[in-house]
Amino acid sequence: MIKYRRFTLENGLRVLVHEDKSTPLVAMNILYNVGSKDEDPGMTGLAHLFEHLMFGGSVNIPDYDSPLQLVGGENNAFTNNDLTNYYLTIPSENIETGFWLESDRMLELDFSQKNLDNQKNVVIEEFNQRYLNQPYGDALLKLRPLAYKVHPYRWPTIGMDITHIENADLDNVKNFFFSHYAPNNAILTLSGNINFDLAFKLTQKWFGPIGKRKVQSRNLPEEPLQKEERIISIEKDVPSDALYKVWHIGPRMSTDFYTLDLITDLLAGGESGRLYTKLVREKKLFSEINAYISSDIEPGLITIQGKLMKDIDIQHAEEAVNEVINDLCDTSEIEYEVEKVKNKFESSTVFSNTSILNKAMNLAYCELLGNPDLINQEVDTYRKVSQERIIEAATKYFIPSNCSTLYYKSTRKDK
Amino acid sequence: MNILQRIQPHAFPVEKVVIPDAISLRLNNGVPVYLIDAGTEDIMRLEFTFKAGQVNEYLPLLASTTNRMLSEGSQNYSSEELNRILDFHGAFLNLSAEKDRAGIVIFFLSKHIDKVLELSREILFRPVFSEPELNSLMKKRLRWYQVNREKVQNLAIDQFFESVFGRHHPYGHQLSESDFENINPAILKDFHAKYYTPDNMAVIISGKLHEKTFELLNYYFGDIKTQNIYTEESGNILKGEKKRKVHIDKPGSVQSAIRIGSTTINKRHPDYPGLKILDSVLGGYFGSRLMKNIREEKGYTYGISSAVSSLDLTGYKVISTDVGTNNCQKTLAEIYKEIHLLQSTPVEKEELTIVRNYMSGEMLRMFDGPFALAESFKSAWEFGLDNNYYFRLAEKIKTIDPDEITELAKTYYNIDDLYQVTVGEK
Repeated sequence: MIKYRRFTLENGLRVLVHEDKSTPLVAMNILYNVGSKDEDPGMTGLAHLFEHLMFGGSVNIPDYDSPLQLVGGENNAFTNNDLTNYYLTIPSENIETGFWLESDRMLELDFSQKNLDNQKNVVIEEFNQRYLNQPYGDALLKLRPLAYKVHPYRWPTIGMDITHIENADLDNVKNFFFSHYAPNNAILTLSGNINFDLAFKLTQKWFGPIGKRKVQSRNLPEEPLQKEERIISIEKDVPSDALYKVWHIGPRMSTDFYTLDLITDLLAGGESGRLYTKLVREKKLFSEINAYISSDIEPGLITIQGKLMKDIDIQHAEEAVNEVINDLCDTSEIEYEVEKVKNKFESSTVFSNTSILNKAMNLAYCELLGNPDLINQEVDTYRKVSQERIIEAATKYFIPSNCSTLYYKSTRKDK
Repeated sequence: MNILQRIQPHAFPVEKVVIPDAISLRLNNGVPVYLIDAGTEDIMRLEFTFKAGQVNEYLPLLASTTNRMLSEGSQNYSSEELNRILDFHGAFLNLSAEKDRAGIVIFFLSKHIDKVLELSREILFRPVFSEPELNSLMKKRLRWYQVNREKVQNLAIDQFFESVFGRHHPYGHQLSESDFENINPAILKDFHAKYYTPDNMAVIISGKLHEKTFELLNYYFGDIKTQNIYTEESGNILKGEKKRKVHIDKPGSVQSAIRIGSTTINKRHPDYPGLKILDSVLGGYFGSRLMKNIREEKGYTYGISSAVSSLDLTGYKVISTDVGTNNCQKTLAEIYKEIHLLQSTPVEKEELTIVRNYMSGEMLRMFDGPFALAESFKSAWEFGLDNNYYFRLAEKIKTIDPDEITELAKTYYNIDDLYQVTVGEK
């Protein structure tokens, strides 16, 4: 049970505080409710580029990192489709430095051309390192636009096209800041060796004076219902064929989410998951296979991806995957297995919440979803998923007309 | 807003790190057990560690395959059953075989300790090394190897270890596809019998401990006997390759991987804490000189870092980065320039203060919570050291002066000793 207290400043900043006196550190997390889904289709990758710029100095502080390191702190950030998240851990006696730094960059960034030019290069190298210079690294770049035709989830967080990053200018960047970075569009969480009164006082002092801003309203185009199966095939110089399949699901807060999460755990939770047991261990069709659910806030995807063993025909492998999925509807001996994945979910949650940083991040994310209590409720909700619901969901979502498939084929003869 | 109101808060010195001592006990058969009672949740981390790493191999893949096969079936459980029961109890099993040591780590809810210990005994002391399971594992591993060898990062680090430690030493041997055909159950059983023995083992358990924790460990592991099998000292000699600069051509790659470094002292050497500080200045944290220069000023890379690591027989240091192909030569020149600068010009006081305080904060993180405590304990213990090593490090962080860093850079970063590996398009 994670206890927390919550308050909202007049400027709209939401704050959650969780005390944990067993550590000498405090974790501070600031989540901004802006992600790549909020980008203009002609200027994608901006949310992530912006995350990089947030370390280039703010209105009163020329350099973000050095003052933090000077007080023993450590920090990082990430961007995804839905949000941009900044976090730091710091010895508790120096927590005020964290407030000073984070409030200053919420107040206003130092928009410098030099920093922008440099971070554009860094992001291009990040794109190269993650997507282009890895075998199969571009698979998800191909899959998104296959599954989504209209919705902004059709491009990845790094951007649809690297020229968008190359073309970004200071005006784009400033506009982006003032239309998305605002106390009324952010969630601050503190977890660790800090008491509520101090957290409250410091939040008032440092974030209180920042004015409310007009945040660009979100008006996302709805993805039309997929009506027929989509398949593409690409050929590359990679060691083996790989299979990728995705199915549309509902949003993060829909009732089916936990059922589908449980289904992916039945399929691929640990070495005893069904896909691994049947297709890697028994039939030896794949060298590795995984299934996972996207935690996207808007309607997301379930993905199954695997790399094939030598001389295995990809269609044959795909039929075997479909068979494992169809077997979900046969629940005659499923009781032990369902109990198994529920136990594992519970234990994963306990482990994840031993870290003050995870607790700070999870609290912020649950608040963004609209219910901070989720952090304590999810295990129960997951436990309540019934066998009937599993069959219903499997039958509803795992149908060919809801599926997009990518055959990632090797051009090598001896594959 | 008035700037005057936004005065930088006072920077308090980072508090001295508090490290709880591990309780050291022995099972009935003499196996050392280290108990670290910490944390607020009813969870545990249990590690069994053996001197059964690559350094003991007479054939490549022997250590890692023996380790991987531990959970592929035992006298009383099939591989499927082992994995299913562990999953059912919400336990996470990590197998690992590194250069010096191998073993398992299990994370679990404390209430399941009985079952976890019973299964651990099966995994560690009753594996069957079945031939069909082994064949299927080796086929999979060959596939993983093939994919890994497509990545410039892996090609570079494999070559780096070969260059630095020598191709004939297990620390430096690079795998080839044919190595995957040479493993059979008999040699695994032999390796297991020699190295996975109580004489060769230690247990580190951390988390919210119970008065019965030790008793249970003794019940499951205290009566296992070591069968004395003669093990030969390997005649392998650590000797770096002659060629200091190696380039591996990887046509079509958009980035080049760079690894630069050499062998160096390990944790047992009195200069090691100072070397750690020098390494931080050079490339050991986000504000390091290499990061500032090559990422934040030049934008050649997404990341660059340096690290110093300890092995049983030696230590090594390595600078790692992936850069755009066009910037490879320029990056190399900048790296050598930074090393040279450290040897010729004392570090400014302001920069050193940042490094001192950052590292003091890092030390708090290294001992925060039961898992971090266990890992830090192990990484001193395996070199025959105790918490005094960390106290010496903390003291050195506070007291080192700029001239000492310059001297260390001269002694330990001799540019003529360094190996340089690059992988990418020519």
